[in-house]
Amino acid sequence: MSDNKQVVADIDRSLYDFKDVETEAEFYRMEEGLTEETVLKVSEEKNDPEWMRDFRLKCLKLYEEIKMPNWGPSIEGLDMDRISSYVRHKSDMKGKWEDVPEDIKNTFEKLGIPQAERESLAGVGAQYDSELVYHNVKDEVAAQGVIYTDLESALHGEYADMIKEHFMKLVPPTDHKFAALHGAVWSGGSFVYVPKGVKVDIPLQSYFRLNAAGAGQFEHTLIIVDEGADLHFIEGCSAPKYNVANLHAGCVELFVGKGARLRYSTIENWSKNMYNLNTKRAVVEEGGIMEWVSGSFGSHTSYLYPMTILKGNNSKMEFTGITFAGKGQNLDTGAKVVHIGEGTSSSISTKSISKDGGIGTYRSSVTIQKTAKKAKASVSCDSLMLDSISRADTIPAMDIRTNDADVGHEAKIGRISDDAIFYLMSRGISEEDARAMIVSGFANPVSKELPLEYAVEMNNLIKLEMSGH
Amino acid sequence: MSRDLNMKVNVLPVYTYNFLKVNDSTIDAEDINIDSLVGPEVKELPDGVSLRSGISFDEAGEIFRANKEKILFTTGVPGDPNGDTSFRDEEQAVRTGMGIDVDKLFIEAGAKADIYTVDEGKKVEKPVILRFDMENGKGMLASQVIHARKDSEVTVIMDYSSQDKEAAGFLGVSTRILAEEGARVNLVKTQLLGNQYIHFDDIGGACFENGAIRLITLELGALKAWNGCYINLVGKQSDFTSDTGYYCAGEDNLDINFVADHRGKKTNALMQFKGVLMGNAQKTLRFTIDFKNGSSGSVGDEQEDTLLLSEDVVNRTMPIILCQEEDVDGRHGATIGQLGEDVLFYMQTRGIDEEEAKRIMIKARLDSVARLIPDEELKQRVQYFIQNIA
Amino acid sequence: MSDQYLLQVKDLSVSIDNELPILNKINLDIKPGETHVLMGPNGAGKSTLGYTLMGNPHYNVTEGNIIFEGLDITEASADKRAKAGMFLSFQNPYEVPGISLSSFIRNAYHAQTGAPVKLLAFQKSLKAAMEILSMDESYADRDLNVGFSGGEKKKAEILQLLMLNPKFAILDETDSGLDVDAVRTVSKGIEEYQKKKDGALLIITHSTKILESLHVDYTHVLVKGNIVHTGDGSLVDEINANGFERFI
Repeated sequence: MSDNKQVVADIDRSLYDFKDVETEAEFYRMEEGLTEETVLKVSEEKNDPEWMRDFRLKCLKLYEEIKMPNWGPSIEGLDMDRISSYVRHKSDMKGKWEDVPEDIKNTFEKLGIPQAERESLAGVGAQYDSELVYHNVKDEVAAQGVIYTDLESALHGEYADMIKEHFMKLVPPTDHKFAALHGAVWSGGSFVYVPKGVKVDIPLQSYFRLNAAGAGQFEHTLIIVDEGADLHFIEGCSAPKYNVANLHAGCVELFVGKGARLRYSTIENWSKNMYNLNTKRAVVEEGGIMEWVSGSFGSHTSYLYPMTILKGNNSKMEFTGITFAGKGQNLDTGAKVVHIGEGTSSSISTKSISKDGGIGTYRSSVTIQKTAKKAKASVSCDSLMLDSISRADTIPAMDIRTNDADVGHEAKIGRISDDAIFYLMSRGISEEDARAMIVSGFANPVSKELPLEYAVEMNNLIKLEMSGH
Repeated sequence: MSRDLNMKVNVLPVYTYNFLKVNDSTIDAEDINIDSLVGPEVKELPDGVSLRSGISFDEAGEIFRANKEKILFTTGVPGDPNGDTSFRDEEQAVRTGMGIDVDKLFIEAGAKADIYTVDEGKKVEKPVILRFDMENGKGMLASQVIHARKDSEVTVIMDYSSQDKEAAGFLGVSTRILAEEGARVNLVKTQLLGNQYIHFDDIGGACFENGAIRLITLELGALKAWNGCYINLVGKQSDFTSDTGYYCAGEDNLDINFVADHRGKKTNALMQFKGVLMGNAQKTLRFTIDFKNGSSGSVGDEQEDTLLLSEDVVNRTMPIILCQEEDVDGRHGATIGQLGEDVLFYMQTRGIDEEEAKRIMIKARLDSVARLIPDEELKQRVQYFIQNIA
Repeated sequence: MSDQYLLQVKDLSVSIDNELPILNKINLDIKPGETHVLMGPNGAGKSTLGYTLMGNPHYNVTEGNIIFEGLDITEASADKRAKAGMFLSFQNPYEVPGISLSSFIRNAYHAQTGAPVKLLAFQKSLKAAMEILSMDESYADRDLNVGFSGGEKKKAEILQLLMLNPKFAILDETDSGLDVDAVRTVSKGIEEYQKKKDGALLIITHSTKILESLHVDYTHVLVKGNIVHTGDGSLVDEINANGFERFI
């Protein structure tokens, strides 16, 4: 226990909440609101190829046409006229930490990113507001033919056709209002290509930091894992807290080839003024495996349901998620899966914790198409209510169109049992520690799926939330 | 009339993804054909039960409006897409599973309701039996209010059947229930209508302290059927237990929306659904346990067991749990699929082939609900019907 | 003369999901009326053999044949085997809510004989069989195995054995988890089956309690998927006294 105590004392919200002042001299900031003019300006800033500029304009039209969702948490507090869709530092992306502007470097140093890169990552991309400020991949990984770069460079380089072929094909801008918005003003993000048969032993990571107040971050992540290849990609997000709403409407498109495996881990810790309307989707070919590990701790309001399309026969998906909704948060999270291929299997396992008036909603859909003979799907969601001012909802759906499928579903909702607390207290543990232990235990199936540093970070976040700050 | 003549029914208590097309269901206006606005007469009214017939649908809701403070209060914030949506049907005297459009249909058509009132403290042993003999080409709206006064108990059986297995027609039923303090209402509905019938059955109920509603439903006939049930567990230790068995084959379509609204302390709800889908049948099941703030000590359980016996069936399930209270225990479980390999093997070791094993399992599933029917004659008729299904 | 055998198992090898074989070239000959005992430590593959003989699709026969009454049934489904006269008593019988024990047996009886079941005669013989097994009559109307205790489940299996009257029955760990009285009752039921002059038995067990009052013709010892020793009934007593040590 003494180790845990140490950690509780060590962490401090200021780790994420510190903010750097962005001066006019150093930062270029697009005016608030969204018009054809602003979209064209973003396009110009980014030196888009023509097709991309046209695509942005098409997306803007769609954005204006598509209605707000009639389900999910309220997003009334989000006023697009007060969001700047593009903010960047007036310097270019760097390949070395030393060259990154001092103020930005300080931010990432405080978040521990350069250290993590040295110690345990194959490559790192760091995005600050709308642009990537740093991108680097270890030599030995690059030597395997692995491409890890910012999406903008990729649009003009050797892989331009590959990008055009895949960009927003999995998440079309017609998907929902914020996918259209993303298509119109996307900026930053990463492109990863892992060639056939290449297994990347250590993870790649992208870290997203939204430092500007009243701004939007719309990064696009495109990952292609070719036949028989293997990759673990980690995504981290944070932002300081402001009194005005910030918006994150990123988009992640993942292509998992035949017999390939991709693990995508996220620890999301946006500040509590963030509207996190993120779209993530993967398509998996024959025998491929998609694994999601998703921790949602931050943001004011979240809509997040990573979707997997099990297209190839015998493809697999595993989703492990945890959501901790604290004071003032409305986190609507879950997963979606569509079984198309024969013998496909999916497993969704989630934990949700609601505390101090937070609203945690688990929402999911499992669709088994007629072609998906011998499909297997299992869903298990547990919710923990820590008081009676909070809310925990479970809204799953199943749509099954073949008899030759095996579908199981379990949901439980409840609280920490008094007996459990009494048992721990009878061994000399304080009530607060006992509760934290039980909540950590509840979250354990998720944290054990994370790389050690992230598991530690997640447990710290839980302790931070439990201690009521 | 300028409004949409189609009825929007079985609306989910909270909306979800639109692509699933499960947020509500529609009854086409052209499917609604009415030539009778009153239900059948009760054959024999047992002692302790009084009947007022021919009351307008609206007026029949009076007993609920008189207790509005108790029954209709809501907690939480209305308005949010994901907020407390029970305010949606506030115009109803008592919320029902299918919702306000059923009330509107009854009121606009001028349908009459029968009010059954059970004397205080009276445990009525003989059931009230309502027999709906639905001939080919008939169209009927029927409405009942069952009002069980303090500490009383009553069993009401509604038997919908057609002599002609191929009969077509329309039958819409609305049953509203009030179980006062310590009262218990057992409601049994068996649907053995002709296989071209259009049928809906809407239930809304409220239980006061220690009140209980016990529901047994079998949906075995008809082409298209909608079932809705919304029970307001407003009093402490009130209870709702329901068992539903269904069988859908051919082009059948069954659409269900059940809600247990826990508002009193230590309330209890158990909803079980067992069914079989064959042919091109489609089934949508929405069931919700809603633990409102203040429902501490409550327990809610929803279970589904669906056997899929054809590759062309469509099975949709939305098992929802909403929770605003810490000290509750809510659970959901579903098993959906074809006959399990292990049970098939067990049957085969006893010499039963796969087709016969399926027939046994269909019967077993439906019979486990049918045997709960408290009336011997009806039970045997339903069991006979089940024997001849597969 | 192979046709004098009821069951012949020839070089039978079995695996699950193409993993390493669980059973390795098993040979077994059983004549009508004989009682064979299959013993062996936990995990030896005893239940696998029972399941495979009865045709559980979970187990793949990679090599060898199963011959019943001169016919090769290696590929036959379980119901065909049951109709041919085979029976397996399960260690953990399946629970089937909604169908009563008596109506299940009636269904199975009808499926096997194809003849209509005479209700009165059936009920009479069911009652008699239940008496032998000291089963309360109420069990006949209870849902198959649902809420039965371990002992009641085993009795319900033996009840089916007596009612269906197969030519050959495999009893898989029928004595496990039973108290002394229940073992006595179950073995009384098995004795009753033995009385039929040509009913054969393969009793799978890792203990010897159930065998005390039964006549045993052959005892086979299965270790790690191989039959390492075959002896007569007296081997049971030896194993009872000394365990499996000398065979491992």
